[in-house]
Amino acid sequence: MTDSLLPRRSLLRYGAYGAAAAAVAGTAASWDRLTGADIPGRDDGSLVVATLGSAFSPDGVRALLDGFRKLHPDIKVRVNAVQAVDWSDFFAKILTQIAAGTAPDLVYVATEGVQLFARRLGVALDTWVKRDAAELREYFADVHPSLVESMMYEGSLYQLPIEFNAADIYLNTQVLRRAGAGFPDADWTRDDFTALLRRMKRASDSHFTPYFWTNRLWGGVVPWLFANGTNLLAESRAPGGDWLWDAFYPAGRRQGRGGGFRWTTPQATDDRVEEVYDYLASLVRDGLCTRPEGGNGQNLIGVFSTGRVGVTPAGGFWAGGLHLAGMRPDGFDVQYFPRWRTHRMQYGAAGYAMLRTSRQQDAAWEFIKYSARRDTLTRLFTTNQTTPARRSMLDAGRYRETGPAHWRVFYDTLDAFPGTGPIPAPPQVAEVEQVLLKHTGTALASPRAVRPALRRMQGDLERAMEREL
Amino acid sequence: MTNTTNTRVPAARTPARTAAPAPAAVRPGLRERGARWMAALFLVPTVIGIVAFTVVPIAGSVVLSLFHWNVIDPPRFAGASNYGEVFGDRTVLVSFRNTLVFMVLAVALQLVIALVLAITVDGRMPVWLRSAFRSAFFFPLVLSAASISVVMKYLFNQDFGVVNWLLGLVGIAPVPWLTSEHAAMAAVVLVYVWQQFGFSFLLFVGGLNNIPKEVHEAAALDGATGLRKHLSVTLPLLSPTLLVASVVGIINALQVFEQPYVLTDGGPGDSTRTVVMVIYETAFEQLRFGEASAVGVLLFVLIMAVTALQFRLSRRFVHYQ
Amino acid sequence: MSQATLTLSRARHSLAPWARIAGLTVCALLTLGPVVWTVSTSLRTPAESFDLPPQIVPAHPTAEAYRGVFDQIDVWLLALNSTLVTALIAVGQMVTAGLAGYAFARLEFRFKKPLFGLVLATMMVPLQVTIVPVFLVLKSVGLTDTLLGLIVPAFPTAFGTFLMRQYFLGMPKDLGEAAMLDGAGPWRIFRSVYAPLAAPGLAIVGVLAFNYHWNEFFRPLILETSGQNYTLPLGLVSLQGNLGTGSLSVVLAGVVLSMIPAVVVFVVGQRPLREGITSAGVNR
Repeated sequence: MTDSLLPRRSLLRYGAYGAAAAAVAGTAASWDRLTGADIPGRDDGSLVVATLGSAFSPDGVRALLDGFRKLHPDIKVRVNAVQAVDWSDFFAKILTQIAAGTAPDLVYVATEGVQLFARRLGVALDTWVKRDAAELREYFADVHPSLVESMMYEGSLYQLPIEFNAADIYLNTQVLRRAGAGFPDADWTRDDFTALLRRMKRASDSHFTPYFWTNRLWGGVVPWLFANGTNLLAESRAPGGDWLWDAFYPAGRRQGRGGGFRWTTPQATDDRVEEVYDYLASLVRDGLCTRPEGGNGQNLIGVFSTGRVGVTPAGGFWAGGLHLAGMRPDGFDVQYFPRWRTHRMQYGAAGYAMLRTSRQQDAAWEFIKYSARRDTLTRLFTTNQTTPARRSMLDAGRYRETGPAHWRVFYDTLDAFPGTGPIPAPPQVAEVEQVLLKHTGTALASPRAVRPALRRMQGDLERAMEREL
Repeated sequence: MTNTTNTRVPAARTPARTAAPAPAAVRPGLRERGARWMAALFLVPTVIGIVAFTVVPIAGSVVLSLFHWNVIDPPRFAGASNYGEVFGDRTVLVSFRNTLVFMVLAVALQLVIALVLAITVDGRMPVWLRSAFRSAFFFPLVLSAASISVVMKYLFNQDFGVVNWLLGLVGIAPVPWLTSEHAAMAAVVLVYVWQQFGFSFLLFVGGLNNIPKEVHEAAALDGATGLRKHLSVTLPLLSPTLLVASVVGIINALQVFEQPYVLTDGGPGDSTRTVVMVIYETAFEQLRFGEASAVGVLLFVLIMAVTALQFRLSRRFVHYQ
Repeated sequence: MSQATLTLSRARHSLAPWARIAGLTVCALLTLGPVVWTVSTSLRTPAESFDLPPQIVPAHPTAEAYRGVFDQIDVWLLALNSTLVTALIAVGQMVTAGLAGYAFARLEFRFKKPLFGLVLATMMVPLQVTIVPVFLVLKSVGLTDTLLGLIVPAFPTAFGTFLMRQYFLGMPKDLGEAAMLDGAGPWRIFRSVYAPLAAPGLAIVGVLAFNYHWNEFFRPLILETSGQNYTLPLGLVSLQGNLGTGSLSVVLAGVVLSMIPAVVVFVVGQRPLREGITSAGVNR
């Protein structure tokens, strides 16, 4: 045994020496990499733009930067594509950067974080918007006022929305055909919806679930709450904002708009909220609907594209996703969320927020303006990975390759239903979301669990909303 | 490594291993001082590293647990109120219960599977086959827990997953693995054990190798066979290995994070939310670093207590030869 | 899995060898199954991802997903970062563990026991508890968002130190005593007697370090904020796409790609790795 060990030992020893030598050489050669000294633009006064890594393709980011440099050769800019699994993860990383004193100047922020950033970290854009009103007129004319209002906080505007996603209903056309069902009306009701699920179920085998959804703030229970004319937190409007509405929107379209949404008193135990949970529980009980699954919806695209699921809520971002998953443009289609007591739907939007700590706010504003230009967005959104906030960008050409046939639904969710609003996202959103997901899981995990779960949800929401943040 | 040819039955160790370092009687004082300097020098990197990146941070955590801090504003002194808050928080309490339940299930399952497989692999079979089995059981250990949990999330899907399909083949109805409370905990345990049992398995393989053949022969002379032989002879001799395996297993299990985070995100409800998940969510999602630190301090105390308890119990059950 | 092992627990050595081997084979298949599924699904078209029964050998094998990985993330940069970080941590751990392990095994000094206890106790500290203070420590020396900030804190290794201590304890004591009688000082005893014998043990520490840190997710997630500094596991996250719209095949192709170095190290270092874990449980 000792004999055979010897050569192996010396081999290992030389291996170790070799590895050590290589490591020393490698370290010396990559010192800049290790210490971050090679990161272009670090500490050189560049304008730093933080984006959610998965939101834009590398090509899109390159195009974004090139275009800006051409327009403003004097401003050095760097994009920091932050890798995160979802928005709350992303915000956590941005806050860590702020704690480290390496805060970016601009952060890409979705509805989930608009009020958190506005309240604690952001700069209102009002003065710049007023100053450059002439230049922006065309932008606002192209963007639905609801999207703009969702970026306002207490009367001030904090971001220019550049993309949004409303929760519409995606239908697998192959499953529809199998069930012998026609494409639903734009005006369909909750009962039509239930009937369709039953039909689909009857026509399929056991490895099929008619309705699949992901337990998250966007597109989970919330669209049903909206359809039933209620919300998780009492919704009202902050005063103010007239400066914007009067300047950019004609009387008819600015009507009822205010200074941004306020989400305050939790109302999880309201009758209408209970109704929604009872309805979803009945769908689960009858095998028409999956139990809510947590996470980012990763399973969803695979099971929908392969016909194991018939209908699911998703936004314009799914057109690109389904195309990527190998679905033909006519393999699926999209319709409004069904109506219940109301026909109000929900969306989330995103744009760039400017941080208070930025020392080059004028340059940052130039980037915000640039980011909202039509040509910029056209270069950025090439694959239908989201819905552009500019109405004029949604046309037949954009959806020819990916589908769906009823692509108009995406923007008409706003235009035809002006009451459609953002998901409830107060500054305490992280905790509110966690409480919602958690108790939704329990409420629908077993029959009779709805009421106790909602009572606990109410208690936890009240505590979360009381917390100063 | 050679074993002594000691004929007294339960003695397997080489004197070199058991003996304490030689008495320093013959050493000149000068040399001794040299050795002390060398020891200091040798320990500097490790000790500095541990002080800078473990001891100081733990002290920092304890201090932080006495403050309210959200990263954005300067910290505010909170006294013990974070601990009060934490003890009053149902989620935190449930997470401690979940973690303990998880620990018991995961460690027990992991040890039993590893032990049974180690004993079985120890039986007569071709060398290449034994080697292949060992590699297979060990393989999951080299994978990333986060990536493999993404994969497992598909496999455990109630309607479309391979696991339920396999169960269906033997006539078991689909289990809502990730969406019902008890099944979700079971899924997290299974995925964790699947990846971790290889570690204990190798410990046991090593332990069995070190049991001298004479022990088995002596036991056989006494008429012990099969299961009885293992229970009465092998297990006591393996008990030091068992202690190491369970200590490491428990320390790791109490810190479980990736599997529940990816598979269930703590749900449904709080049913698979572990302490470390709560620490992560409280700190990095809700920006309540003070409360998160308080939970962290409590977890640290718990791990220390469980480990101390284990060593105390082990005095009664572990047989050193 | 548990079902199969339950039956096995009743197995005895007197059981027919074929039954034992059959049982072990079933367990091995269950153990490797998820890995096989991952590889084969990454080679299937997205539309076939969810086929049941799963096709182990893809009907229409395609490497399209792998192209997708290279299109969507900068695999080479991420792999370079991961390699740098992992290799340097491995080397660093070999140094710290080798030195400290020797001191604990073969040198006499005050506070030896409590110090060793302190080293072992660091195993009990969850990463998530200390990450914020660690972050602040790194910030004070300017190492946040650098690869070094990921590397240096990982140098001390409790398990590695423990292993090396066991390893040195396992070496015959007479070697050093003979050298001492020849007039060798403590440094020469270490340098020319024990250190040369330690190479296999160090290899174990290195392989374990590589294995753990190659797959590490949490520390890079918190500590590295610039895309240029990401390691492979972080980069793979973006394959999941905006709101989970990434293709499953691409996600799995990324998982398979990131597995490759770990598997290579597994094959090459399997033996030291096994020995390392094995020896940890044997000696005391």
